[in-house]
Amino acid sequence: MSVKVGIDFGTSNSGVAVYDGQRVQLLPVDPKNVIPEVIKTVLYITRDYRPSIGQEAVEHYYRDNVNRQRRYVKQWAGEIDVYGADMHYVRDIFVYVDELKSGRLLQYLKTALRKERYEGTQIFERYYTVGDLAQTYLRLLKQRAEDVLGEPIEAVTLGRPVKFSELPEQDYKAQETLREAAHEAGFKEVDFELEPIAAALDYEQTIREPQNAVIFDFGGGTLDIAVMRLGDPNYRKVYASGGVDIAGSDFDRAIIEKRMLAQFGYGHVQHHPEIMEMIYAIPDWMALPEMGTPINKNILEKAIQAGMAPIQLKALQGLIYNDLAFTFYNRVEAGKIALSNAGATIITLEDKDIALWELYTRYQFETDIHHYRTDVEKVLLETIAKSGLEPGEIDAVVKTGGSSNIPLFTEMLTRIFGAEKVKESNAFTSVVAGLAIKAKM
Amino acid sequence: MSFSHKIDEWMKEAETRPESAVTIVRLVAKRLRELTERNEELLTENIALQNGTRVEEYQKRIAHLEYQLDLLKRRFGADESSLAELPSASVETTTLSLLIYNNYGRILRLELNADIQALGRIVDETLQTSEQPRLLAVPSNEEVMLLFTSGRVSTCAVNSIATVETSSEWMWNSAALPDEPRAGEFLVCIMPISRLPLSEFFMQVSRRGCVKKTMTSMAQSILGNHYLGKGTLQKMDQPFDMTLCQKKDLLAFVTIEGKLLGLDVNGLSYSAEERIKLTASDYVIASFVPHPDESFLFVTQTGKVIQRQSDSLELSKSPLAKGQALIPPTRLEQGVRFIGAASVRDVDQIVALDSKGNLSVHPAASIMGAGSIEADGLILTIGLIQAEMRKESDL
Repeated sequence: MSVKVGIDFGTSNSGVAVYDGQRVQLLPVDPKNVIPEVIKTVLYITRDYRPSIGQEAVEHYYRDNVNRQRRYVKQWAGEIDVYGADMHYVRDIFVYVDELKSGRLLQYLKTALRKERYEGTQIFERYYTVGDLAQTYLRLLKQRAEDVLGEPIEAVTLGRPVKFSELPEQDYKAQETLREAAHEAGFKEVDFELEPIAAALDYEQTIREPQNAVIFDFGGGTLDIAVMRLGDPNYRKVYASGGVDIAGSDFDRAIIEKRMLAQFGYGHVQHHPEIMEMIYAIPDWMALPEMGTPINKNILEKAIQAGMAPIQLKALQGLIYNDLAFTFYNRVEAGKIALSNAGATIITLEDKDIALWELYTRYQFETDIHHYRTDVEKVLLETIAKSGLEPGEIDAVVKTGGSSNIPLFTEMLTRIFGAEKVKESNAFTSVVAGLAIKAKM
Repeated sequence: MSFSHKIDEWMKEAETRPESAVTIVRLVAKRLRELTERNEELLTENIALQNGTRVEEYQKRIAHLEYQLDLLKRRFGADESSLAELPSASVETTTLSLLIYNNYGRILRLELNADIQALGRIVDETLQTSEQPRLLAVPSNEEVMLLFTSGRVSTCAVNSIATVETSSEWMWNSAALPDEPRAGEFLVCIMPISRLPLSEFFMQVSRRGCVKKTMTSMAQSILGNHYLGKGTLQKMDQPFDMTLCQKKDLLAFVTIEGKLLGLDVNGLSYSAEERIKLTASDYVIASFVPHPDESFLFVTQTGKVIQRQSDSLELSKSPLAKGQALIPPTRLEQGVRFIGAASVRDVDQIVALDSKGNLSVHPAASIMGAGSIEADGLILTIGLIQAEMRKESDL
């Protein structure tokens, strides 16, 4: 007999859990990770199209790519028709391909689902749609869960944000792409539950009397809020739900844009659009790898030789051409996480040609993301208003998701609801635990 | 954003949360220490650049590389223009040569061009009375370095040594004499030098267990001046063997009374130092650089073979170690002695010279299996033919 599991397909981390009616079992699907029950939502695909996920993918990526050799070859990519007033001709298009590239690392797969203009990506000779990427990740995750349980898994309750997108049609499309991907990954039965509601179901296990609760699910990709009546399984009600696509990845981006770009030439280079384009691509994890072309390398080398911000541009060159982008994003994210417990931290990246050292304080971080706080507070108050309840009528505010630990937002919740009502939950596992409970219902 | 603005922001953090001030100060102090250390390194480098030390170092390195290139050219018999085409067509077909040499500088060169066991016989009265000859298998396109007891060195191409006929009888008088020892001088050993550009050190071992390490970057001046040094400390001691090593290699040597000593090349000093405490009658009879997949093979004068795994080698850190005893005291009293030792793979071959002058080839696997080398008389010395050399020479 097959089992039904709950899967939290998160922006940064994912997880799988199963509920037997009494106890939730979080499955250790990534034994190499510090917390084996949490698996990074990263996918690595090798040149021979062998995929790996989680920490294994990260290790594979580091082993094969960082500071590796590159060799560009010119490849025919297709042709374009050019029409003039009285003429028409066809022109061949060539691209430079790094033939020594051994694999491609993909992260923020969930964000890709809700990106309006992102359909997919070319990985060596194959084109992977967003659905293909999600399907590949879910298939491997399912295999790992089956290995842990020792029995086949054919049904799943997948978590989804309250809003994949503000646009209803894009929101629907994202969910259906994910559903299709799950079917292709081998799940015969697929249903969805909103992530904050899943977190609420997990929280409900800990309370003894009915109460009005706000679930504040603030993860890597989105903020999801649900205002619910919990504690009585016969009368469970969602008063209102809301969300906004602001979360951890946006804060990382803000840190890079405001604090890191100067280290790579921003403010030192002017009137040089090609270099500026490379600098502006740094915060964008999807765009930066695309910058690694031989033409750009030539541009950077010429600029360095001409003495144009040589230290900064050498660092930019190292970041792009030594495949250090993933390490860089991880360092920024680690710095952000450290600020949840400390007043100051260091963001460093030391490698060939790069000597990044940035003392970053909580004051600076809060200044950098201040505008997001305003938006988050607005969405929260709107959702509360939509529920018809007053903040005073809320009995508990349950925080979940990595970004909910940021002190700025904890302070905001404390100010609105009172410190005694703000409850901690397991930031990385409460959603998946709730999804497992939902799967059993 | 200016640096002073950043400092203002750090100050604001300290004002908002005073407990952060300690963290900030600690992080800045740590950075300051790192930068101070780096600054010192850069200042040192700057001084080296200004006083020309660094330039001299690079000039020496360039000279060394040029010399290595020259060696390679000589080895492949190519000029600069054809060197680029290597190794496709310009490499001559090589054969494997066996050099049998005595301390008077006489060298018999045999071409090992067939799979025969009995190679021939040395007919000479002095064979048993004088110091035992030594054997070296080497590709015929090699260049070899000769080391004499005075510390003098010279080089010659193997091809330039006249060959003698296989499966016949030879006399030392008819052997080639590429570099006659000078008055009071004897030939100690011959070493192939094709791997010189890829090696880091010359390692010399003396009869009384002195070792001396010399950087191969000095090879040009060593060969130019024809002098490497004796590598000995005592007056009565004399050099015995020489080999090329890498920094990470181990060096092992074996004495006639059955002592085995292992040394870490990286930990050895550049000056000659005595590394083993030997009895008055004991002396070194073999030295080699062991590799993990090889076995040690020790041969007694009666042809008995003792085998040990290479991981049984214990590294000595003490300046005057006694070494690992391989011959039990009772056997020593009975007169058992080692006459040769080597680090071998199963696929290698051993050449043995017996007291009647017979020279024979034996597969290492079979002698290790049998536990002895069959010979007409006592074994005088052994040599190693590595399987790789055979492959290279297309035998």
